[in-house]
Order: sequence, then structure tokens, then C-alpha cells
Amino acid sequence: MIQRPWYRRKSSPTNCREVGRVLQHYLDNAMGSEWAARVAEHLEACKDCGMEEETYQEIKLALGRQRPAVHDDAVSRLREFGRSLTDG
Amino acid sequence: MTNYVQTLMGDPLTDDRDQKETFDRYVVPEIEVLYRVARSITRTTTDAEDLVQDTMLRAYRAIGRFDGRHPRAWLLTIMRNAQINRVRRKRPELMRDPDATMARIASENKDNADPEAQVLDQGYDAAIESALNALPEKFRAVIELIDVQALHYQEAADVLGVPIGTIMSRLHRARKRIRKHLEQHGGYINGRPA
Repeated sequence: MIQRPWYRRKSSPTNCREVGRVLQHYLDNAMGSEWAARVAEHLEACKDCGMEEETYQEIKLALGRQRPAVHDDAVSRLREFGRSLTDG
Repeated sequence: MTNYVQTLMGDPLTDDRDQKETFDRYVVPEIEVLYRVARSITRTTTDAEDLVQDTMLRAYRAIGRFDGRHPRAWLLTIMRNAQINRVRRKRPELMRDPDATMARIASENKDNADPEAQVLDQGYDAAIESALNALPEKFRAVIELIDVQALHYQEAADVLGVPIGTIMSRLHRARKRIRKHLEQHGGYINGRPA
């Protein structure tokens, strides 16, 4: 029997294996609110899955902090370039 | 008659004004995002600025064919094509054997980074940076776009020219590699030294 991908299934995840399969999408806010609520409920109740989520959440947050500051000068120059295109 | 001819030929003033309005409405608000993504792709500020200029120029030329839907996706696709052309111009050997060349570039970067030395006595964020730099290019690119620049899956797929499923699987594998790197090199668990 062919297994449907997680995002096409009707039932939401209820056990560790299923939650593990969708955890990355949960971290990225890339799932519906009903599913997200079920995952959150499981993470609250299951220590192992909760730790797993915390680990990846820390990694994701730290990666977000790697975002280099955008140089306002560069963006200003690019806006100016845009104006030069449209003004001919 | 004149009106009919103008309709056929198009009124240049009106066309220019429409072009400018469309550009200001859809392209200008995306300049900062384009610059951030370009920084991820090129990794130098000068190249990033050149790439965004190239993208804006191409977008301006093509704006008459843009239907107004999903401007960011449209611009990111233009940027990807512009970058492919730039890389071809700079590194003609990529055209002959792209895989071998990319592997060589990745290995050169890895040698210079020396991730193990970098993580010693450094904090969590420095260890994360080291783990990010140690990733193979195809994984690093996805992490840069999704986790560092906060693009959506589909936007990252547009930039890299791969299906969204590929983005998801690379993202998952890349994060696993980062976690493994942290455990092996920095001994971090849940953001704290073990």
C-alpha cells in the first residue's frame, strides 16, 4: 500500500514517530493550525520529543542570528539604481 | 484614425508610466530581500550588489510580461538565472564539469575554515557558524535561505531552481548535520555546552 506524504493525510500526528516526521515543518510554521496544535500538545506531554524540538529550535534561532546586517548604504544605492532605470 | 494607430502602437508615455508604476509597486519593495538573498548566494557585498542590479535590470526589461502575481517568486527566479549567467562567465570550467568543480570549491572552503579549531572556546553562535560553514554547498544554501534569511520553502525553491520537496529534504538533512557537528565539535546540547 502506498503511503501518502504527511501533508496529504487527513489524520493529524499522534505518536512520537509521526511527530518526528513532521517536526521540521512544525519548526518552520509550515503546517496547518490544527496539525500544529496536535504537535504542540504531543511535545508538551512527551519529554523526548520536547527535548528534540528544543534542540532544533535553538539551532534555528541561532541560525537566524547569523543573518548579516544589511548595509543601508547598499540598499540606498540599489533604490537609486531602480530610480535611474525608471526615470530613464 | 490616430486613436486607432495609437492603440495598435501603444502610447509610449503611458507605457513608460505603467512600467514605472509596476516597477515601483512590485520590485522596489523587494530590494532589501533581494539584497539579503544575494548576500547568501554570492557571499560578498560587492557581488551581491551587482547581482541585485542585474536582477532589477532584467526585471525592468521584462516587466511588461509580469502578471502581477507572486512578485517575490518572479524576482527570485530572475535572480537565479542572473546568477547562473554570472557564474558561467566567471568560472567557465563549471560548464564542462559542474559537479567536480563545485566539489573542489567546497573542499577549498572547508580547508580554509578549519571548523574544529574555530569552535574551541567559542560560544554557541560561533559553533553554529562553524557548523554552517562545514556543510556541503547544497545544504548550506538551503539553510542560508530558510533559517538565516527566513524565506519560505517555495521561495527557496525558486532561488535554487529545485522542487519544494528537495528543499524540505535538504533542510532536514542539513539541520541533522548541524546538530551532529555541534555534538561532535562543540559538545552542545540544547544550546548549552554538554
